[in-house]
Amino acid sequence: MSLLEIKHVSKRFGGLKAISDVCFSVRPGEMAFIVGPNGAGKTTLFNLITGVFHPDSGSIHFDGRDITNLAPDRAAKLGIGRTFQIVKPLRNLTVLENVMLGAFLRTSSPSKAEQEAIKVLKFLQMEKVLHLPARGMGLPMLKRLEIARALATKPKLVLLDEVVAGLPTSEAIQLAMLLKRLPEWGISAIGGIEHVMQVVMRVADRVVVLDHGTLIAEGLPRDVVHRPEVIEAYLGSKYKEIVL
Amino acid sequence: MKRWHFILAGIFFLPALLVPLVVQSDYTLQVLFRVFLFAAMGLAWNLVGGYTGQLSLGHAAYFGVGAYSLALFSKAGVSPWVSVLLGMVLAMFSAAVIGSISFRLRGPYFALCTIAFAEVLRLTAKNLPNLTGGDVGVQVPLLFPHSSTKAFYISGVLLTLIVLALTAWIERSRFGYYLLAIREDQDAALAVGVNTARCKLWILLISAALTAIGGALYASLFLYIVPDQVLAMEISTEIAIVAMLGGAGTLIGPLVGSITLETASEIFKNFFKEANLLIYGVLIVVVVLFLPEGIVGTIANKLRLFKSAPIAPFATPEPPDPEEEAQRAVISE
Amino acid sequence: MNWFYSTIQAVLNGLLTGALYGLIAMGMALIFGVMRIVNFAHGAFLMLGMYATYVLFQTTGISPYYGFPLAGAVLFVIGYTTYMGLLRPIRGQVDFMVILLTMGLALIITDGVQLIFGADYHQISIPLLSKNIRIGSEISINAPWLVSFAIAAVLAAVLYFVVTHTMFGRAARAIAQNRYAAPLMGINVNRVQAISFGIGSAAAGIAGALLLPVFYLFPDVGNQFKLKSFVMVVLGGMGSIQGAAIAGLVLGVVESLTSLYWGNEWALAVDFVIFILVLSLKPSGIFGSQRA
Repeated sequence: MSLLEIKHVSKRFGGLKAISDVCFSVRPGEMAFIVGPNGAGKTTLFNLITGVFHPDSGSIHFDGRDITNLAPDRAAKLGIGRTFQIVKPLRNLTVLENVMLGAFLRTSSPSKAEQEAIKVLKFLQMEKVLHLPARGMGLPMLKRLEIARALATKPKLVLLDEVVAGLPTSEAIQLAMLLKRLPEWGISAIGGIEHVMQVVMRVADRVVVLDHGTLIAEGLPRDVVHRPEVIEAYLGSKYKEIVL
Repeated sequence: MKRWHFILAGIFFLPALLVPLVVQSDYTLQVLFRVFLFAAMGLAWNLVGGYTGQLSLGHAAYFGVGAYSLALFSKAGVSPWVSVLLGMVLAMFSAAVIGSISFRLRGPYFALCTIAFAEVLRLTAKNLPNLTGGDVGVQVPLLFPHSSTKAFYISGVLLTLIVLALTAWIERSRFGYYLLAIREDQDAALAVGVNTARCKLWILLISAALTAIGGALYASLFLYIVPDQVLAMEISTEIAIVAMLGGAGTLIGPLVGSITLETASEIFKNFFKEANLLIYGVLIVVVVLFLPEGIVGTIANKLRLFKSAPIAPFATPEPPDPEEEAQRAVISE
Repeated sequence: MNWFYSTIQAVLNGLLTGALYGLIAMGMALIFGVMRIVNFAHGAFLMLGMYATYVLFQTTGISPYYGFPLAGAVLFVIGYTTYMGLLRPIRGQVDFMVILLTMGLALIITDGVQLIFGADYHQISIPLLSKNIRIGSEISINAPWLVSFAIAAVLAAVLYFVVTHTMFGRAARAIAQNRYAAPLMGINVNRVQAISFGIGSAAAGIAGALLLPVFYLFPDVGNQFKLKSFVMVVLGGMGSIQGAAIAGLVLGVVESLTSLYWGNEWALAVDFVIFILVLSLKPSGIFGSQRA
């Protein structure tokens, strides 16, 4: 039984077909990665899943329910969490308060929200910055803050959009190993990533390759990266012959 | 709430309530009434403006609805205090209409829309003399049996206390956090399950109802109102300035702002007579250029008084991360 | 048949008034388009242009229809310095702060003028005022309005040309589209923005000059025009100069017809109703592409 089921979803913006007839699904406890060059449509797909946009055609089902035309806050309540590619911290609040916001989805008591938030922040090794304002923090911490806030909502599925982009490789791998533990907490994840393949190789159970809005490959990480279509998408057709 | 908060409030408000025992001058009491009335109005505005980041320049609409409700319902035979209540209901209804349209707009469009609504109300009041008395105005009944400025002053203090307490309660609740989230980043708020539209509407309704009470009190003190007095943009601006000067988004900011502004205004009126608007304008410019966090905000930041982040919701943000800004400019979604 | 001619007359008057409205709105649209600044001092600038022209007329006898460039020059300088001195330092802040700042500035300017000139209403009298051009037996056009229409139309065309065909115009449009990429193209963003603000303010000043013969002069005269400018800029599409010009004409006609059929007092109210309708139904305005 799939947790998330995307069937024949398409979306166009004016003349641009951003997503074309994409089908894919995520099973509970799985870590799937959507890989693709910039502009491939990863963020659009995430926006479609979370309800920021609605597909022109096709359907999206989550946990058995049709969420195709749901609003973002309803999607969050149903258990879909997300991070944003361009981080959106609440700058005039502290790190703790930022994460408490996520926790408030499941409790209305500020003290319980605080406890939950601290738990999540400990998991992400952010205890030291609990009471610092989000304003002025460096990108690596802000990326973790995004994740923490999403995790505090106790999602069943979390969408991680370019969550390691811009981080030095060592940081990226460190973060990835943390994320690998998400299924232990009962959280499935879909990551969107452009090029940090070290992360994908280490963490992903399954990889799906998106190019110009269409799904061009799917499978285990080490298989997919060798496929000619994938190499062509990233490097251009010239290199297809050379690499093989 | 910590114990010392209550003590501090007591230290301020108990003497405030006892002032009429000492001060006999009607004029002084009127000025003090104005201080507390606009403090309460500023606090009510602060809920929508300071905490939720929706910077309305049309709060005179609710002020005026409260004032005119008192006048017109009483004229129709309803008892004054019930008229005030009806005024609150009408104001909330207006807020629902105004909010449903304005909240869809971002940035300057929102402020302009709120101005437009307030102006439509003002012009309608002016142009329907059979209903509202038009520019000639309409009488307002006394809310307090004896024409006592003292009673008005006390009501002003009590109203301020009520709105202050309400603000403090909201500040510490989940709703309060949600409002802050809406101010900081609506998309992030949506992503964690906040129903932003509903929250914005609710806080505007609350703010409008409180502002309407203020309008009714104000109207009753003067016993007579005209549209250019209670529905004027000057009222909207004063309410917003009181909050911004004191510190929008802080708890006691509007109170500090009102005390400062009204005191300054009295001084200007006495020394500069004709130029008091000019000084007012200078004050606004000074606040924007040098005190964007308001008095309370600036002090709090300097002393790091608050456990949480510096309160600077409307000041210059940190220098934009060039990569982030470039991404933002190029990525359309 | 009376109402037919009355209507035609009203439409004609509306177009004449609308040209001036359009000029004022174009100035505001330029400023908003390039800098996303809602200038609450725009009306005060118009008033300053009016007073400057008044002083010129009183001291030298030069008619506003020849003296308006002075108003333009004065307001260009005022606009440029206002941007450089007051607005540039708060560039990063929320729009609301800019609105508050320009509001405060408007108060300072208006009250300052009142201190200097007093609150009295002034009026000038030039021979042209009594000339009317008759069309048929039912329609007449007041000559001053025709002259101001002509001047406003020419200036509008010039402004449009500047924005679309000069280097400056191209730079301004580049900044309007992408504030962060523009400097990468070698554009001196601050200077272009200050000049834009100057030009926009000059438009308001010149409109004030053209209004002097046909309007009462008093310190708060700018307020109504400022409010109407907001309506026009939104109606025409924020940042669209041609949109603002057309919206000006539309507003002039709508106001004129409203005055004819419902009375003067409803004209401003109708403006705001249009404003709210546009914002609720098509926030991007007639010509605008920016989303609200």
